[in-house]
Amino acid sequence: MTATHEAHAEVYPAHYEPPAGPTRRLLFGPGLVRGAWMAVLFFGLGTLLVCALRWWWGWDPVWNTEVVLAVGAMTMGPIGFLAGIGAFDYWLHYISGRPTRPEDHSGHGAHSWRDYFRVNTDHKVIGIQYLVTTFVFFAIGGLMAMFFRAELAQPGLQFVDSQTFNGLVSVHATLMIFLFIIPAFAGLANFAVPLMLGAPDMAFPRLNALSFWLLPIAGIMFVASFLAPGGAFGAGWTGYAPLAEGQPMGQTFFNMGVQWAGASSIMTALNFLVTIITMRAPGMTFWRMPLLVWANFTTSLLVVIATPFIAGSQFFVMFDRILHTSFFTPEGGGYVLGYQHIFWFYSHPAVYIMMLPGFGIVSEVISTMSRKPIFGYRLMALSLLGILVLGFSVWAHHMFVAGMADWLRVPMMITTLLIAVPTGIKVFSWTATLWRGRIHLTTPMLFALGFVTMFVIGGLSGIYLGSVPIDIAASDTYFIVAHIHYVLFGGSVFTIFAGIYYWFPKMTGRMYDERLGKLHFWLTFVSFNVTFFPMHYIGLRGMPRRVSDYDEAFGDVNFVITVASFALGASFIVFVYNMAVSWMRGPVAGSNPWRAHTLEWQVSSPPPIFNFDEIPQVVGGPYEYGVPGARHAVMSPAAERAEAHA
Amino acid sequence: MRKGIVQLAAIGVVIGAALTLVAVLLQWLPTSASEEFDRIQGVYWFATIISIAIFSLVTAVVIFSVWKWRVPDDDDEDGPPIHGHTGLEILWTAVPAILVTAIGIVSAIVLARNGEAGTRPLEVQAIGQQFAWKFVYSDYEDVESGELVLPVGKEARFTMTSVDVIHSFWVPNFGQKMDAVPGIETSILVTPDRTGEFAVVCAELCGLGHATMRAKACVVTQAQFDSWIRNPRQRSCGELFET
Repeated sequence: MTATHEAHAEVYPAHYEPPAGPTRRLLFGPGLVRGAWMAVLFFGLGTLLVCALRWWWGWDPVWNTEVVLAVGAMTMGPIGFLAGIGAFDYWLHYISGRPTRPEDHSGHGAHSWRDYFRVNTDHKVIGIQYLVTTFVFFAIGGLMAMFFRAELAQPGLQFVDSQTFNGLVSVHATLMIFLFIIPAFAGLANFAVPLMLGAPDMAFPRLNALSFWLLPIAGIMFVASFLAPGGAFGAGWTGYAPLAEGQPMGQTFFNMGVQWAGASSIMTALNFLVTIITMRAPGMTFWRMPLLVWANFTTSLLVVIATPFIAGSQFFVMFDRILHTSFFTPEGGGYVLGYQHIFWFYSHPAVYIMMLPGFGIVSEVISTMSRKPIFGYRLMALSLLGILVLGFSVWAHHMFVAGMADWLRVPMMITTLLIAVPTGIKVFSWTATLWRGRIHLTTPMLFALGFVTMFVIGGLSGIYLGSVPIDIAASDTYFIVAHIHYVLFGGSVFTIFAGIYYWFPKMTGRMYDERLGKLHFWLTFVSFNVTFFPMHYIGLRGMPRRVSDYDEAFGDVNFVITVASFALGASFIVFVYNMAVSWMRGPVAGSNPWRAHTLEWQVSSPPPIFNFDEIPQVVGGPYEYGVPGARHAVMSPAAERAEAHA
Repeated sequence: MRKGIVQLAAIGVVIGAALTLVAVLLQWLPTSASEEFDRIQGVYWFATIISIAIFSLVTAVVIFSVWKWRVPDDDDEDGPPIHGHTGLEILWTAVPAILVTAIGIVSAIVLARNGEAGTRPLEVQAIGQQFAWKFVYSDYEDVESGELVLPVGKEARFTMTSVDVIHSFWVPNFGQKMDAVPGIETSILVTPDRTGEFAVVCAELCGLGHATMRAKACVVTQAQFDSWIRNPRQRSCGELFET
């Protein structure tokens, strides 16, 4: 690497001149201002291209809003924005033969808050960019949920019409999945994984920066669909054809938003894979990697293999909509169930994309806070791989009542039920890690234990739904809504909170308020259960999901659910307050407040700009608590060698 | 330690008992009105027993551990360096595998029995259209009805299709559900075993009127059915019970 860089330095002048003068720098230097005007410029170019082509081919009318939006606003505009903020600068300079500085670190690290608002190549900055962005969308998605819960407090329509209701439900789910859970895990892993590996950064820092900046584009697209003529996409986050094909223009925002979010995920996953495979510190064998690293390794494999399928499914729907192909329209020979097969071939593995990183976080937290090695480390890693493999063979359990081939149901039921085995291994190993530990009931630990118990409920309701006969009765009802929220809220969101509290001192150098943290946990835990547990009941009793109106008999339970959902929303305020105030004024945390062994805790908080002043030498497992004299790593091998010689 | 195990077991039993009460005292399932749903409810209870046992076990260990081994914040000792236990790990791989296999076998048997059509079931076509159901009785010269009327004790085979988007035919009390998909035919069997008035509900999001896509379903005696089918438009299905 260094050799090539030096060769470059000889051929090209070693410096790149930024535009002179403050105004010119503001307008033409990389940044949000250039991003804004370039987005507008590229939108104009895209619009012009569409209209020119349509005019040339003699299509009438020349102006077609949906096509202009798809090409101009949702493809060209974002590319202009990314070019404007400077995400492509290095590559474009390199391609065009202009001077580049491979070792230019001016875009690396954060010296002021402004550095969080530009293309930054530091994985720690990117991690925080991800987390703050995803929590903004979490809040938006949560407010939408409270809005439609208000509608559902009583039978009948009170606040919104059906299209708005369907839009709120669909955008809520889409934001929570594509803009919160998946990228929040990517953010935590971005921050923690390179540090845990003993690496100075991710393998491809510029790609990492690009991955992050694709995300707000997708999020804005989903939210902006409310402004589209006809309202937001209302075919659910699953966007089943042919309903999606007859939806108003908002559906195209979903089709394209998923592309940007998916591209972001795929690039990040490739980056993690290369980083984990090639950038481990000396001595960091696979069997010495912390389980968070293992979890992100398997997650990244899932993302790389599965995500192209959802991209494909949404392109097909969009082509059916605006190019009048007929992939999924029976009148033109299309196959309706084809959509569901392609969609779920991604979206079932996506459940594990939203779960495995959480397993990793919980393993770190439980082991550290119980002061014990994780129970059955190797089986914990292998069970992740087991879920990875099995996860690809269960997609059609979402289609037991979809009318697919009957013979496919029993095999898919068996694989689905078998996933309980590796998952069970993980749950039992966490509880065994607690056994006879010295348990510190800190906020991250509370969330981790809350996760273990709530996730068991989600897993067990998954067994019900895995069984074909029960699924035939319970699918498409509120039982499903309860199940996915126990898995994704009681599961994923609890682990995200555990991870945030756990690494908060490392990220900011300050400690959060433990009392507020505990208050946040208990408020969330109680209101979560009151919100979602009764949904099992109304679902089994006969209330279908995704309805704006329902049978009078379910009125009382729905009212309780709505009240609890507002309490759940309010509990988030405690979290935001705690984070904001502690980040600014919290007590200094020190480098290792949890006395953890993994590498990120062996450097200062926040860590130095390139993480390690000297590459650590890994000499043992990551969780050797209680083993006399055991160490995970030697932090300055050279100094220790010198000491040994002297 | 023996005392500890007893305490742990006690916590587990208390949780399990409480959950059992919640499971039994609340009526979680709608009254079954079909033979198929009777069998499905059997699988449901089987899965519920296993679920209560597993949840009680895990929660009991978590609560017991926190209660027994919680230390103050300033404690800086480590726990015992237990790295694993092969026997236990085999045990908790094997036992869940056996349990889920059992659920799988029971489910497969029930699925097969619920899918076995007897001789000459009543043929009903269910056609979904935004936002109403149409039922066509092919055995009775394609009589059409917006309400579903079935004779009790007689197996009915629903053949479904849709003229626009995907709908899903569901009568909660029958426990059976199947999507009506444009372009293909799907089918499901229902053998009503209880007379009464129920609701046909669309279970798959189908657009603006999804929540209101409902129809009445009446299970009546064979005699009432015979009189209804001769002149279905004259009497709505609710009125049948008055005769």
